[in-house]
Amino acid sequence: MKSAAFWGVLAAILAGGLALTAVLENEYYYNALYLILQATLMAVAWNILGGFTGYVNFGSAAFFAMGAYTTVALNKALGLPLPLLILAGGAVGGLVGFGLGYLTLRLKGVYFAIATLAMAIVIETFISNWTYVGGARGAYMLTPDQHLWFNSYIQMLFMVMLLLTLAAVAISRMLSSSRLGRGLAAIRDDEVAAESAGVPTLRLKLVSTTVMGAMMGVAGAPFPYFVTFVDPVSAFNLFIAVNAIAMPMIGGTGHWIGPVIGALLVGSMQEIVKVTVSSELNVLIVGVMLVVFITLAPQGIVGLVRKHWQRRKS
Amino acid sequence: MDNARSFLRAGAFALAAASASLLPLATQAAEPLKIGFSMALTGGLAGAGKAALIGMEIWRDDVNKKGGLLGRKVEFVYYDDATQPANVPGLYTKLLEVDKVDLLVSAYGTNLIAPALPIVMRKKMVLPSLFGLAANEQFKYDRYFQIMPAGPSPLTDWSKGFFELAMAQNPKPKTVAIVAADAEFALNAAAGARTNAQKAGLKIVYDKTYPPPTTDFSPIVRAIQATNPDIVFVGSYPPDSVGMVKAANEVGLKAKLFGGGMVGLQFASIQKNLGPLLNGIVNYDFWVPEPTLDFPGVKEFLGKYQEAAKGKGVDPYGHYLPPFAYAYLQVLGQSVEATKGIDQGKLAAHMRKSTFDTVVGKVKFGKNGEWAKTRVLQVQFRDVQKDNLEQFAGPGKRVVLYPKEWKSGDLVYPYKQ
Repeated sequence: MKSAAFWGVLAAILAGGLALTAVLENEYYYNALYLILQATLMAVAWNILGGFTGYVNFGSAAFFAMGAYTTVALNKALGLPLPLLILAGGAVGGLVGFGLGYLTLRLKGVYFAIATLAMAIVIETFISNWTYVGGARGAYMLTPDQHLWFNSYIQMLFMVMLLLTLAAVAISRMLSSSRLGRGLAAIRDDEVAAESAGVPTLRLKLVSTTVMGAMMGVAGAPFPYFVTFVDPVSAFNLFIAVNAIAMPMIGGTGHWIGPVIGALLVGSMQEIVKVTVSSELNVLIVGVMLVVFITLAPQGIVGLVRKHWQRRKS
Repeated sequence: MDNARSFLRAGAFALAAASASLLPLATQAAEPLKIGFSMALTGGLAGAGKAALIGMEIWRDDVNKKGGLLGRKVEFVYYDDATQPANVPGLYTKLLEVDKVDLLVSAYGTNLIAPALPIVMRKKMVLPSLFGLAANEQFKYDRYFQIMPAGPSPLTDWSKGFFELAMAQNPKPKTVAIVAADAEFALNAAAGARTNAQKAGLKIVYDKTYPPPTTDFSPIVRAIQATNPDIVFVGSYPPDSVGMVKAANEVGLKAKLFGGGMVGLQFASIQKNLGPLLNGIVNYDFWVPEPTLDFPGVKEFLGKYQEAAKGKGVDPYGHYLPPFAYAYLQVLGQSVEATKGIDQGKLAAHMRKSTFDTVVGKVKFGKNGEWAKTRVLQVQFRDVQKDNLEQFAGPGKRVVLYPKEWKSGDLVYPYKQ
C-alpha cells in the first residue's frame, strides 16, 4: 500500500470513528468495539516480536496488566488524567519489555517462550502481594464524570482506543518496511547469519521487545476505567495472552496487516458469539481456528491471499 | 426505470418501518416483562451460577403461574459472563440498550457485580444483588440491594458471631491464628476477623496468607499448631477448605475453636466428602435446615429445586445460594407489585423502606443496601457420619449457634483436646 493511501485510510477510519460517536448512541456497540480494538492493539504489539522477529511471547497478559496496574497505582497516588496514565502505562510496559529483552534474549526458541511465561507468573505474584494497588483483593476504579464532548465515557474510551490502535498499526507498518524491519526479518530467518552479516541483533531485538511491551502497556492502561474493578485474575487472564498469539497467527504473522485482520475477524466473532451462543465458546473458537490455520494455512489469511494472487499472476 | 424502482423500494421500506414502529403500541399490553442479568454459567463460579439460575427460573415459573407481574408474563434475558469481569460491562450495556430489559438483577459474586455497577448507576436502575461482599462500598449507590445477609458492615459482621461465641467460653481464649487464601473474599474475611479479634482483646499469634493454588496444607497447619493458638480462623475457598480440614485432622490441630470463613463447607458434595472430619468445626452459613429457620415457602422451594437440580451437576440440596437467588427476585417482584409499575425511583424507595417476606425470612435493607441487621449464621457440625449424603438434608448436622434469635443448639467446646 502506498504511503499516502495508508495515511488516508487511517485518517478516514479515525474520522469514521468520530462520526460514529455523533450518530450512534447505543453504548453496547462501543463496549464491543472497545474490546475488539483492545485485542487488535494487543495482536499488533505481539506481532512486532512474534511475527517480525520470530520470538514467541507467552507473557502478553503481564505487559497488559502492567499497564492496567500503572493506571491503578498512579491514579491512586497522584490522580493523573487518562492521557498521562496511558503514557505512563506505555513507559512501564516498555521498561519491562526492555528488561525482559536484556535478560532473556540470549535464550532462543522455546526457552525464550518459557522465560516470558515465567515472567508473567513472577509479575502476577508481585501484584497479588502489593496491597497498595489492592493486591489479591482487587481495586475499584470509579469512572470520572467528565468525558469531553462525547455523550458517554465509553464513547470516549472507544475513541481513545481507536486512536491508540491506529497509532500502533502505523508504527508496526513503519517498523516492517524500514531498515530496522529488514534487520528483524533477518533475525527471524537466521539469527547467526544475520549477526555475521553485520546486523546488530541484540540491539534490534531490544528495540522490538521494548516497542512490544510499550504497546501492550498502552493497551492495558485504560482497562481499569473500562471494567471499573481490576483484580490480578482478570488483568493477568490467560485469555488475553491466548488472543494476542492466536489473532496474528490467524491473520498472518509476516505482514503488518496480518494481526489487524486476525484480530478484527476473531474479535468480532467472539463478541457476536458472546451474546448469541455463550461466552465460553470464545475460547473454543480461538482454539479451533488456531489449529485449523496452523495445520492448513501456517501463513495465515495474508499467506492465503498472497498464494492466491501469485497463482493468478502465473 | 431504475429511479422508479428505487423509489418504490424506498416506499416499501418506509411502510415496513412505520408498521414495525406501530406494532409495539398494539401489543404492549401482552408484552412480557423482561428481567436481564448475566450469570456465571461457565468458568470458575459456574457450579454456583447454574444453581442460582435454577432457583431464579423456579421464581419465574411460580410468578407466571399466578399470572405474571402487572399482568405481564415474566421473561429472563441472560448471558453467560464466563466468570470473567471484563465481559460484564458489555453484557449489561447490551441488556439495557439492545435488549431493552425492564428490570435488572446482578450476576453472582463480588467480582462480577462490581463491573456492572457504573453502567447500572448511569441508567439509574435498581440493582438487587446476589452475594456481593461489600461491592457497593466504593460506589455508594442508593439503588443497590444486596440479598446475602452479611449485614450493615459486611466485613466485620461476617466473623462477629465466631468471635462472640469464642469470648463467651470459660476459660476465655487468649490467642488467635488467622489464615486466609490470597484472594478477594478470603482476604476481606480475614481483615474483618482481625478487627474483631483486636476488639475482643485476643492476641494474634499467626496471621498469614497462602496462594490460591496451594494443595498441601499440612505445613500451614503445622506452622499454626506451633504457635499454639486457642482459636483458628480460616478464610478459604472450596478446594482449600477441603485441604485445610483434612490437614487439621492429619496434623491433629489442638485449637479450641476452628473454622469461621470457609467457603465450600456449605455444599453437600464437600460435606459428604469430608464426613466425620467436619465434626466440631464452627463455620459461617446463611441457611441450614434447622427448625428455627423454617421460613414459609422455603421447604416448598427446595423441593422444586431438588427436583430440577437432578442430573445437572449442581448442588443437590441447594441450601446455600439458591434460596437467596429466589429471594432477591421475590424482593424485586414484591416491589413491582406494591408500586404497580417499574418506575425505578419508586421501586428503590419501596425497597429502602419495606420489609419483605421471602423464603429466606424477613428481609430489610439498611442504608448501604446491605441487610439492616446481620444474619451470618455460625453453625457447628455434629454427629456427621461417613459417606452419607442424605444426612445433610435434614436438621441436626449443622446446629445454629449464632445469632441468638435463630439458635438451635449450644456450642460444643473445645473443638479438640
